[in-house]
Amino acid sequence: MVRKYIALLRMKYIEMLAYRLATFVWMTGAITQPLITMFVWMNIHPEESESFLFYFMAVIFVERMTSAWDVWELDREIREGTFSNLLLRPLHPIHWAIAENIVYKWLFLVILVPVWMVGAVYWPALRPHMTGSQIGWFLAAVVLSAALRFLLSYSCGLLAFWVTKVAAVYGVIDVISLFLSGRIAPLEMLPPQLREWSEWLPFRYMISFPIEIATGAVRAEELVRGFAIAAGWLLVLAAVLQWLWKAGMKKNQAVGG
Amino acid sequence: MRRYGRVFREFFRACFVEEMEYRSEFFGNFAASFFGVGMALLTVHIFFYQTDDLGGWTYAEVLVLLGIFNMLRGFIDFALRPNMPRLLEHVRRGTLDYILTKPVDSMFYVSFRHLVFWRLIDVALGLGVIGYGLYIERYVPSAVDVLMFLVVMAASLLLIYSLWMMLMTTSFWVVRIDDLSFIFDSFFETARFPGSMYRGAVRMVITYVLPAVLITNTPALALLGKWSVSTVLAALAVAILFLWLARRFWRFALRFYTGAGG
Repeated sequence: MVRKYIALLRMKYIEMLAYRLATFVWMTGAITQPLITMFVWMNIHPEESESFLFYFMAVIFVERMTSAWDVWELDREIREGTFSNLLLRPLHPIHWAIAENIVYKWLFLVILVPVWMVGAVYWPALRPHMTGSQIGWFLAAVVLSAALRFLLSYSCGLLAFWVTKVAAVYGVIDVISLFLSGRIAPLEMLPPQLREWSEWLPFRYMISFPIEIATGAVRAEELVRGFAIAAGWLLVLAAVLQWLWKAGMKKNQAVGG
Repeated sequence: MRRYGRVFREFFRACFVEEMEYRSEFFGNFAASFFGVGMALLTVHIFFYQTDDLGGWTYAEVLVLLGIFNMLRGFIDFALRPNMPRLLEHVRRGTLDYILTKPVDSMFYVSFRHLVFWRLIDVALGLGVIGYGLYIERYVPSAVDVLMFLVVMAASLLLIYSLWMMLMTTSFWVVRIDDLSFIFDSFFETARFPGSMYRGAVRMVITYVLPAVLITNTPALALLGKWSVSTVLAALAVAILFLWLARRFWRFALRFYTGAGG
């Protein structure tokens, strides 16, 4: 398995190099929404500008490190029928997707960490104040976020076996997650009702949770609870994905004849 | 000029016939537009949960601004966005030759040939949001306000058209056009909020270099009765300047095209 993954990663790495410009454009495009939101909050609470700067830069970082666009890939592949090529290969298609995600996230990490370090030289607000265990929890939470978003994206993509407008379905989920994952506002700024929902829904654990750990907003007992809820959603989404996969395979053969 | 009116009506009719083949999608599109506006309103609501003033604008004024933003985006998606990938195809496959030989202006043709009607729902919803904002503000625009609003709105549409056209013209050199419209969208997204909210260099750029602020803020202010003759004239002047630039750029690109296509 390890050798297979090394081969997969190498392939995906070469593929990525072919699309350097596109990758760069998508990367710069993804930062405008958090930046605009940051300006709004700095305007509302000017005295907390520094913490908003840290928060929204962290949003950009975590968002890039966890985003998965498998839903669009799957949608296209299933609709156009090229998905069958992947099915014929001896390895489950999900491994290709996982390898691709690892490669892109590695690229983003290699670019964003030095950018952050240079930024921290100029803006003291960007210097993180984290203890060793906090860093550990933060990294664990980022990995968990990435896994959650990947499972959600891939499961939605599998819906393409039944629905033609998967991208629209995912779009709706994404907009809802804008509010509940902490991208429109730090969750503590939300009205109490929405904040309560955000605790139990998976979206908080897709972006906000790691940042809350980094800023020290999460206390020890909340930390355990947060990880427990996130892990619960991880199991649920994995089960959903497996079920969709099985049902989709049956459906796929029925259509393919 | 009258001939162009007739040609545009003919484009309109052809696209309408085309669209009627997909009538079943109407409801889904309608729901999607409603959802989009609802979420935009919720966003503004969440911001104003913490404050009652954003860069000197009240809740109701920001709603008027949001309505105008939604309207303009509706116009972009109605007339401009559908044409961008087509121009790319024409350039790549050399079929632009056919357009150049037609007895209509090529820039006019490539930018308005394809229209997506259901996007006009966004324009209507935008008008609704504007009305709602004015209602909360308890402000009834006077006839002069409306006149000024119409003038500035026309300038904004011209500006958007010119910026979009310049971006589209780069397809003679750049191949990945979906990335380009992505750049425009992220820039236009800044126009959703009052320009006075931004700080420092960002504010300078979106006010003077890429006039995003001018495009949405001046019509909103005009409708709220906060216009001045000088800003209206400035908006018109900037719009005409950008249109001229876009025109020049298109001509320049065409020269490049014939050079390459042989």
